Amino acid sequence: MMKGFEVISALKKHLRKDDIIVSSNGNISREAYHVLPRPQVYLRGSMGLPIAVGLGLALTNPKKNVLVITGDGNFLMGLGSSTTAAYYKPRNLKILILDNMKYYTTGGQKTVSSVINYAKFLDSLNIEYTDSKRASQDQIEHDLSELLGSETFSVLHLHINEGKKDLDNIAWHPEEITDRFCTRLAKSS
Amino acid sequence: MIDPSEFLTFIEKRFQYICGVPCSFFKEFLAYLTAHEKNTRIKHIYSTREDEAIGIASGIAFSGKKALIYMQNSGLGNIGDALTSLAQLYKLPMLMLLSYRGLEIDKDFPEHSLMGEVNEPFLKVLKVPYWNLSEDNWETEMKTATKTMIETSSPVALLVEKGVLCQ
Ligand SMILES: Cc1ncc(C[n+]2csc(CCOP(=O)(O)OP(=O)(O)O)c2C)c(N)n1
Repeated sequence: MMKGFEVISALKKHLRKDDIIVSSNGNISREAYHVLPRPQVYLRGSMGLPIAVGLGLALTNPKKNVLVITGDGNFLMGLGSSTTAAYYKPRNLKILILDNMKYYTTGGQKTVSSVINYAKFLDSLNIEYTDSKRASQDQIEHDLSELLGSETFSVLHLHINEGKKDLDNIAWHPEEITDRFCTRLAKSS
Repeated sequence: MIDPSEFLTFIEKRFQYICGVPCSFFKEFLAYLTAHEKNTRIKHIYSTREDEAIGIASGIAFSGKKALIYMQNSGLGNIGDALTSLAQLYKLPMLMLLSYRGLEIDKDFPEHSLMGEVNEPFLKVLKVPYWNLSEDNWETEMKTATKTMIETSSPVALLVEKGVLCQ
């Protein structure tokens, strides 16, 4: 199994220039900010809403891929939005669940993620998905490239090891995140 | 009741999306919207929760487009964090239609009483500018709310009493 920031680093070579990323609050946003091309939509709060935000972005940017990177705590808090996203199935929306079965950011308290059979759950949404349990690095690289290359709405659920890099906080105020992101979109559309 | 076709014509000029969780106070308007989904420019996205609707509207606003959100005022209890740590914090414009449940007319619905009482103070505490939507003056009220939404690049609300968007 890889650590969250290793998976996020591994994403770099699979991303295309116009791809849009939405990252869930806590460590994941921080890692996305430091490791991946900027600017993206880094959520600092709104726990539970990364998929909803990604859905709004995917519907309004049909020619661009939108990748939502979410922790299991965020995924579970907004579980309903995975059904909403599956209902609309925007072909450009991709969801990467980094599952450490913990609220790692707040001190590693357990989530209830371990009770879910993700393959069955995702299968019930009638979507394309991959459930990679305890996958090797090679397998993860392969899964990430499939996820980003897929032509349909897809979800990749990855079990990850806890652990983080010591990174500074996101330097941009949220208003600056919006400004920079909107400027980038305006340029590329 | 506001003529649903006039209301739809008005909103589809200003909003590209509409999303939310229903209230019976929006019944006739939503029925009209659903019946005309194929020939209106506005796209309707169903939501499972009100905070999810704010999340979707935020993604839409990040792309420079605008969403109108509808919800029962009980949904106000679900959206505090979505407003304060997302839509307001990131300066994302959106207009919320909130049904005004819990007034005298709703005395048989105790589940709405307390929210009916605290609805306006709640919006004030959350620093969400709001107006009432009325049958007689709705165009001006919608224009005022939309103008503030654009000028402040932030969420604003309109309170909708019984009989305004339903019979
Ligand atoms: C509504 C809300 N509740 C609680 C928090 C505190 N909080 C911040 S990050 C976080 C954990 C998120 O967990 P997960 O999505 O699994 O990501 P991880 O921290 O494991 O990377 C929590 C509980 C919050 N920011 N907002």
